[in-house]
Amino acid sequence: MKPNDQDKKNPFVRRFSHERIQETIMFGILRSMTFFVLFCAAFLFWDILSKGSTKIFEGDGLINWEFLTEDPQTLHVTKDGETEIKLSSKKYYKLKDEKMLQKWNAFKQGPDYDAALERLNLGIKAIRKEWTEDGLQKAKVEFIARERESSLGKFSFWKELATDPQTTASDFELEIEKVPETISQFILGHLERESGRLAEVEGEIRNFRARQYPLIENPTEASIPKIESAYLDLLEELPTLLTEATTNFGREIQTNYSSFIKTGGPKAFANLAEAIEAYGPIRQSLLGKNGGQEAWDEMQACLAPFRQSMEITLPSKDYAYSGGGIFPAIIGTLLLVLGAMLIAIVLGVFCAIFLAEYGKPGKFLSLVRLAILNLAGVPSIIFGLFGFGLFVIFLDWNVSLLAGWFTLAFMVLPIVITASEEALRSIPQGFRESSLALGATKWTMIRTSVIPYAMPGILTSSILGVARAAGETAPIMFTAAYAKRSELPWEGLEHWTDFFFQGVMALPYHIYVVSAKIPQNEYTQDMQYGTAFVFLVLVLGIASLSIVLRNRLRKKYHW
Amino acid sequence: MQSVNDQKAPEREGATEPEPKNATISIRNLDFLYGENQVLHDVSLDIFPNEVMAFIGPSGCGKSTLLRCFNRMNDLVEGAKIGKGSIEIHGTDLQDQSVDVIELRKKVGMVFQKSNPFPKSIYQNVAYGLQIQGLKSKKIIDEKVEESLRKAALWEEVKDRLNENAYGLSGGQQQRLCIARTLAVEPEIILMDEPCSALDPVATGRVEELIFGLKAEYTIVVVTHNMQQAGRVSDRTAFFYLGKLIECDLTKKIFLNPSKKETEDYISGKFG
Ligand SMILES: Nc1ncnc2c1ncn2[C@@H]1O[C@H](COP(=O)(O)OP(=O)(O)O)[C@@H](O)[C@H]1O
Ligand SMILES: [Mg+2]
Repeated sequence: MKPNDQDKKNPFVRRFSHERIQETIMFGILRSMTFFVLFCAAFLFWDILSKGSTKIFEGDGLINWEFLTEDPQTLHVTKDGETEIKLSSKKYYKLKDEKMLQKWNAFKQGPDYDAALERLNLGIKAIRKEWTEDGLQKAKVEFIARERESSLGKFSFWKELATDPQTTASDFELEIEKVPETISQFILGHLERESGRLAEVEGEIRNFRARQYPLIENPTEASIPKIESAYLDLLEELPTLLTEATTNFGREIQTNYSSFIKTGGPKAFANLAEAIEAYGPIRQSLLGKNGGQEAWDEMQACLAPFRQSMEITLPSKDYAYSGGGIFPAIIGTLLLVLGAMLIAIVLGVFCAIFLAEYGKPGKFLSLVRLAILNLAGVPSIIFGLFGFGLFVIFLDWNVSLLAGWFTLAFMVLPIVITASEEALRSIPQGFRESSLALGATKWTMIRTSVIPYAMPGILTSSILGVARAAGETAPIMFTAAYAKRSELPWEGLEHWTDFFFQGVMALPYHIYVVSAKIPQNEYTQDMQYGTAFVFLVLVLGIASLSIVLRNRLRKKYHW
Repeated sequence: MQSVNDQKAPEREGATEPEPKNATISIRNLDFLYGENQVLHDVSLDIFPNEVMAFIGPSGCGKSTLLRCFNRMNDLVEGAKIGKGSIEIHGTDLQDQSVDVIELRKKVGMVFQKSNPFPKSIYQNVAYGLQIQGLKSKKIIDEKVEESLRKAALWEEVKDRLNENAYGLSGGQQQRLCIARTLAVEPEIILMDEPCSALDPVATGRVEELIFGLKAEYTIVVVTHNMQQAGRVSDRTAFFYLGKLIECDLTKKIFLNPSKKETEDYISGKFG
């Protein structure tokens, strides 16, 4: 290139060269890529935090404690007067109860209450006769007479069939060999129906059937009377059982009635109504189908006005999983993380100590390292299947905390081992030598002069690794997570070991369930992002906790 | 026996000539190898009770290796082994099956080149050797910590800050702390591998004084490549070159009138 006049003036004039263009382009690419990554990261946080905050700060703008402290519930969208309100199940049923109480109280203060009460009193008095000494005696006698009569009829019919198989066969269009079998079917069918009809004594009838089965199986002219007489004997026994049951039910009604009279509240009434309802079938067994029907109808009529005043309609549109909160999932995730962390760190540190301090460098050790590195590349869903196969099925731990802990722990083990090994190797050789030179055994040396100083490094990397694992859905999907569980892990344990064998809810799995497993509606998105928000904060919390921990330990052991 | 072993006993007032059989450490025809690489060739040497023996020689000549044989620290190095010959302490062959290195190392303490106190308190550093032996009594440990720190001439400087981290001390203090830590387990022999190489002259002076003072109670072997230092602290000096013991004699003689040419060249600074 020949310098022109201008170039002469300025010896440093900018030239366009290949390198310069390359540099400009490269710089542009590097910068735009970095900005792209930053933008995506910013978007992710902004997206989750902004959408999540609608749930977290729902309503009056303060923290939505219900979301953080309740279990997931159905959302009921209902109307209170004209305004639309959104209530989770617990609140919805509470509101319903309140309304019911209002209605009840209005009825109680109203003009009809006393009359209704009086009528109820009379009604109770009427059926009370049924469980007096006399009533029961009478019922007993009638029961035996009634049942005897109908049974005799049945048995004589079957006898007839058995005596004349020829006719029977032609009547029923059967082959003659099939006749006993058919009769047997009749008898068995009848006993089955009887055990259904006579509440409270179905067990006895079933036992009878089992006892007599050899005879019933092959009924003949001779055997049917035997069955008959045994059955008649049974009929003598049944009324005793029935009257006993009646007495019990009667007592139940009596106590519930007195407590209703005392309190006059809807709860007591509900109990009374329930007791009366439960008495129905036993009464029918003892008294026959239409026995004392009038008194019973009257009873129902007496209950009706009270029942009516308890009936509340609060129409609502229901959305499953869109109400309540995620408290059990928060607890579950915390438990999963803590347990997995403990197991992973203990196992990982032990492996790392062996690898870093005891293992002789060689083929075996490189093989072990290779295996560990490969383990780190296994997809998390595979760990889920592994945990399911080994812990849930083979060791029979079921879907449980314990299985989840071990599955998660195994998943992060490579991270923990690698991090711990690095931390152990970074401890100056001088500490080891000084310790040994003072007469320490190798293990004493490791225990007193290596592990304590390596701990900050081990903890930070491991906690970060495990916190990441806490976010995985796949490994816990089959091993530890429940889609819904209202009790908290410490509730309703029969024995303390049950604690480890229960499944829990977990945040990542909850997000998955809410976004993929239930019908979507306008409220599920809030739930999803609210959960994601809490989850993000929790993971960040764990991470910063580990950093604080590391800094403290570092301050203690700096060199 | 070779000529280098026609040693004279240290000339000290009132001291009679020690017989080789009284030697604390005696090395006989020692060959030492790291894998295939032989780094000590046929070394024979006696070290007597309550003397300060200095090892000098250019770097890489095997001084540290020999020193680390005395408490079998070389066991830690993969492939390190004695080719032939033996090392005896009070007549016991260190390679013998019945020798427990733990017991050996309690008797043969070591101070390293780089001062490396544990990142713990001053007190815990000194107490460490006692605690790992299972000593529990706080009172006894307290006493021994004080005694060791006094012997290491550090007590007055640190008695008010025993619970502070040892890394708050200066380099020289740290090295004296390491000496105190070694003294606490009551060794009989103290090995020092270039204990002053990382220290400034003032700190070096204090450590040297200390070494000189300790000789009444301990047998001390000190590796150094600072010849003035050897001259100041040692009774006898052994000069090594390329894995061979060239000459071992009274320090004064080595410096003023060495019998070997290599020694003279090294002392006069022709190489090294
Ligand atoms: N751990 C080791 N593994 C292999 N060779 C070593 C090791 N330590 C020292 N050496 C070799 O042994 C020789 C002597 O080393 P060393 O005893 O440290 O010498 P000095 O302390 O006199 O400087 C050197 O050539 C060195 O390379
Ligand atoms: Mg050296």
